[in-house]
Amino acid sequence: MGLEYVRITTGFEDYMPKDYVDLVKYGQFGKDYDIQELGTFKELVEEHPMCAGCFMAYFIRVFYASLPKPEDTIVIGTAGCARLQLSQAAVPFIYGNYGDTNAVASGLKRALEIRFPDKVKDVVVVAGDGGLMDIGFGMTMHSWFRRERFTTIMVDNEVYGNTGGQESGMSPKGVQLKMAPKGKKFDKINAVELAKAAGCVYVARISPTNPKRLAKTIKRAIIAARHFGPTFIHAYTSCNIEYSIPTEKVLEDARNREKKDFTFYEWMSDDVKNYFEQIESNKEGQEVKV
Amino acid sequence: MYYVAETKVDKCSTYKCNQCVLFCPEPNTLMFLKEKNFAYVNQARCKGCAICVYVCGDLLKRNCVEMVMATVSE
Ligand SMILES: Cc1ncc(C[n+]2csc(CCOP(=O)(O)OP(=O)(O)O)c2C)c(N)n1
Ligand code: SF4
Ligand code: SF4
Ligand code: SF4
Repeated sequence: MGLEYVRITTGFEDYMPKDYVDLVKYGQFGKDYDIQELGTFKELVEEHPMCAGCFMAYFIRVFYASLPKPEDTIVIGTAGCARLQLSQAAVPFIYGNYGDTNAVASGLKRALEIRFPDKVKDVVVVAGDGGLMDIGFGMTMHSWFRRERFTTIMVDNEVYGNTGGQESGMSPKGVQLKMAPKGKKFDKINAVELAKAAGCVYVARISPTNPKRLAKTIKRAIIAARHFGPTFIHAYTSCNIEYSIPTEKVLEDARNREKKDFTFYEWMSDDVKNYFEQIESNKEGQEVKV
Repeated sequence: MYYVAETKVDKCSTYKCNQCVLFCPEPNTLMFLKEKNFAYVNQARCKGCAICVYVCGDLLKRNCVEMVMATVSE
């Protein structure tokens, strides 16, 4: 897209759908809202069909509200619950075949760099634990080995939610699921350490309990990918359906998990660290050329 | 018939906070009116999860959101 395509041609304001006019007038394009201002501006996602109280849905809501440049972003998703909302946003969305997201994103990012040499286009993959760490494992790892410059976000609900509850490599050891009645026999994959070993320059693990920190982490992962290499966020995004969490207890569950195995963790290479020290002290969000 | 959230705007506005708004999983649903300092619910979009009740009641002990039965209006 780009800002020039978002703006409404003079004289057409009265004929455009109200939601679109609201997006342009009160939305995020060309503006830099703080996440704490949620609820006072028009969000990029209109509505979505994810389950009531789904914390993956919540994460994706915050994700869109945190994009540093929504008008210059392309999101890649795949089969799984996340795409139900990813495909409803006013941001271009590409559906990669299940397991292929990081291969699609690699090609796309390279093509965008050739097509728009003077512009930054952010490419972000948002996919499930099954999509990235099981069936898409090879594609994910190789995009990191090749140091592709885009962000991968794993929305980890510890199950194949969209297909009725099969265990994934990210399900915790011992857990019993509808389609895993004997209980998971192996440990949860250590995705964050794998990402570091495979060449990611910024890696974070987070439970969505603190919107400010969540927004900062998402922004950092996207901005670091522009200049330095692959970045990865491992987010705990519970499935209240498959894990039978009453919806009003979903945030409590996220807070409990944060105290156990989803403590906030952030790691970055020295280059990235120096870069953020420079831009974040400079002026919030102001980028410098590297 | 299903439940949706409703804020008690008078009480809510005394706290000058928007914490529940930051935790709703639905976009453009639990809104905040800056001029008057209160949160309000776009009930046609609310899915009734009650996360906002947990935030305002259980976490903050302010009890300014409750679940009410949705009514049909023409
Ligand atoms: C190539 C291919 N294999 C299998 C499927 C079936 N499929 C659809 S969604 C899904 C699992 C999704 O699990 P996950 O990636 O963890 O996302 P979640 O739904 O839990 O968010 C599977 C196996 C598919 N669509 N394409
Ligand atoms: S099945 Fe689980 S992860 Fe998928 S939308 Fe419903 S609650 Fe969310
Ligand atoms: S958390 Fe309670 S007091 Fe704060 S804005 Fe929401 S309803 Fe009002
Ligand atoms: S009940 Fe759930 S969907 Fe409705 S306003 Fe509260 S948090 Fe949002």
